[in-house]
Amino acid sequence: MSYADAALGLILLGLSVYLLFGGADFGAGLWHLVSRRREDKDVIEHAMGPLWEANHVWLIFVMVMTWTAFPPIFADVMSAHWVPLSLAALGIVARGSTFVFSKADPDQRWYPWVFGVSSVLTPYCLGAVATVVATGGSSWLSLAGLYGGVLTTALCAYLAAVYLIWDARRLADVWSSMRFRGYALLSGAAVGLFALPGAAALGVRSPLILLSAAAGALSLVLLVRRAYLSVRVTGALAVVAVLWGAAEMAGLDLDAAAAQDAVLQVVFVALGVGGLILVPSLAWLYVLFQRDTARTP
Amino acid sequence: MSTVALLADAAARTGQGAASPADFMAARQQMAFTLGFHIVLASIGIGLPALTLLAEWRSLRTGDSVKAAVYAELARRWMKAAGVLFAVGAVSGTVLSFEMGTLWPGFMDKYGQVFGAAFALEGIAFFIEAIFMGIYLYGWDRLSPRAHFLTGVPVVVAGLLSASFVLTVNSWMNQPRGFRLVDGKVTDVDPLAAMFNPATPVQAVHLILASLMVCGFIVASVYAVGLLRDRRAGRDDRYNRLGFAIPFSLGAVCAPLQVIVGDWAVRFVADNQPAKFAAMEGVEHTQAGQPFRFAVFEIPNALSLMLKFDAHATLRGMDSVPVGDRPPAEVVKTSFEIMIALGMVLLALAAWWALAWWLRRRGRALDLPWKPWFLRAAALTGVMAAVAMEAGWTTTEVGRQPWIVYGVMRTEEAVNPSPGLRYGLYIVLAVYAVLTAATISVLRRMRHTPEPAVPPASPSSTEPAAEANVESVR
Repeated sequence: MSYADAALGLILLGLSVYLLFGGADFGAGLWHLVSRRREDKDVIEHAMGPLWEANHVWLIFVMVMTWTAFPPIFADVMSAHWVPLSLAALGIVARGSTFVFSKADPDQRWYPWVFGVSSVLTPYCLGAVATVVATGGSSWLSLAGLYGGVLTTALCAYLAAVYLIWDARRLADVWSSMRFRGYALLSGAAVGLFALPGAAALGVRSPLILLSAAAGALSLVLLVRRAYLSVRVTGALAVVAVLWGAAEMAGLDLDAAAAQDAVLQVVFVALGVGGLILVPSLAWLYVLFQRDTARTP
Repeated sequence: MSTVALLADAAARTGQGAASPADFMAARQQMAFTLGFHIVLASIGIGLPALTLLAEWRSLRTGDSVKAAVYAELARRWMKAAGVLFAVGAVSGTVLSFEMGTLWPGFMDKYGQVFGAAFALEGIAFFIEAIFMGIYLYGWDRLSPRAHFLTGVPVVVAGLLSASFVLTVNSWMNQPRGFRLVDGKVTDVDPLAAMFNPATPVQAVHLILASLMVCGFIVASVYAVGLLRDRRAGRDDRYNRLGFAIPFSLGAVCAPLQVIVGDWAVRFVADNQPAKFAAMEGVEHTQAGQPFRFAVFEIPNALSLMLKFDAHATLRGMDSVPVGDRPPAEVVKTSFEIMIALGMVLLALAAWWALAWWLRRRGRALDLPWKPWFLRAAALTGVMAAVAMEAGWTTTEVGRQPWIVYGVMRTEEAVNPSPGLRYGLYIVLAVYAVLTAATISVLRRMRHTPEPAVPPASPSSTEPAAEANVESVR
């Protein structure tokens, strides 16, 4: 395996994690926008993490890895799709800031609204660009771009609903978790019916479609049978398989674009050393965050 | 350098379709604006955790329990504000990484691999900073006071490191190293040589001191206003006094150091980027015994004397640089002078603060540090420091033009050729205007949450004072 393959693997891993966690945050924003009940909104806000939108770290990781490891691909994609990508960046600004602002200033009514709208705009733009790159299309305004944007937003909404069932059971009451279960069933069925014909129309011929469809169907069964933790795994698999299928389809010429080995060596060493610090500290933060009671003096 | 420059010139002439002049300017302005916005937030992101730790350390060490409670309350408030500003800084930083590609694809395409490793390191440092900021905020009542204090240290260290890593890229744009150009293609990349280019040490130290000054003086300004208000109301609030003293002292310690480092920076530029130096000092003609010109003043031979310790030394002027390679001299000179002038005002106020405290310690003039004229001036130091930083940054960035990578790649070659970039600028300006207004309104609101009640003296009262605020941190 060459250094370029390893870099590509890391980029795909970063994208997958971003879709599964950052994507769920986007979807949670969508449910926050449409749900009318205070207790559901509370569950969403609590589930979304402590301080800021930490999951954007994965997006930054993917961008830095791409411009370091495959500079021409980064330059081509970013310059050709600068309009939707700039909108996505502004969406991230609006989301990230209104997320903390509404915690610090709960009386201001338009923060949650901006938060919800930008939660839909951002995955739409990112998904449209990803689809256009994967299908070799030209514009995010093409039919493929439109389809990819809607599909990505729907996938995020589905993921969020699946994750939130368990959170609602832990943090609120059984009715709240039943509502999220309902959202998950509805959005899961809808996104499946939307994804499969689309994949056929775009000419995707990959066994990953079958994997995604099987995992999606199994998730619906698990939702009906109320296996809320297992459905997190199968739901995530159904969603991430779509990303892998798109990556397979893109077929970018990576070897011609790859950076020199000396560069990638430094990056891998840095990531390895960084990981040794990051993983234990992240675990510590998680443990502290889960500990509900304060230390008594 | 010259063969490299020739190659780049040839590439520019044969290059692809270029952006229109209006779009090119819009791209530069958008980058300048979003980066200028981020710089202030990043400075606070570096400085505020440091101030928080200073306050917490004082709270742990002081024997006076009332004082300890005030310090603990300051620490909590500062870290809470740091949390909000960190979130805004994180997203404004994300915008910059998008803009690297949407605005400057030519730059990324060709040189992304040369400096990319620095950004990977920056990302790791940033993530560590974020995690420990979370641990610090959540751990307030979940860890022992000592352990809690120690979890703040990585926040400060990682903040300094991540700023330094990013800065290596800007230093590299001024002093490109760590690669060779063969037939216009980048080869023999050595990412560490690129990172540790000759401009890195001086630029990193200059920026870190500047960010500590910006943060210290901005926070001090807030409390100076509070002290003036107290004075009008006839109150004497220890909270505002300590809240002023810690950050102002941080700024005051950095101010004289910054003058020394600034001198080092000017000498470095004079030796390595003659066009930038000529623009900064307004030197038009190469000649022996250069006069020193500042605003409307002119002192014969002084520039040669200051720079080379020889009144008759020859210094290169703008006429030694080909016309096409000259930066816009007026902008560079004006912003350089603004930075120097504001730096001197800050230095004078810092000296007064030091003198007032020295006299106070000796038992004389106990009210000296709190004179209204001084507090009024101090209330402006935050704006002054931020403007000085933006002016200094304008000096180095505009002074590097017309190059994006000094002597190697022109900024025009790097810009995205897509039409319509200027509309992007307008939208960004509008969004950031709203963002700025909202950030300030949120911080003001956080400030207006119930005034901290200083608790009655009790031996173990470092914590109760601010218990009420813990909930809102979450």
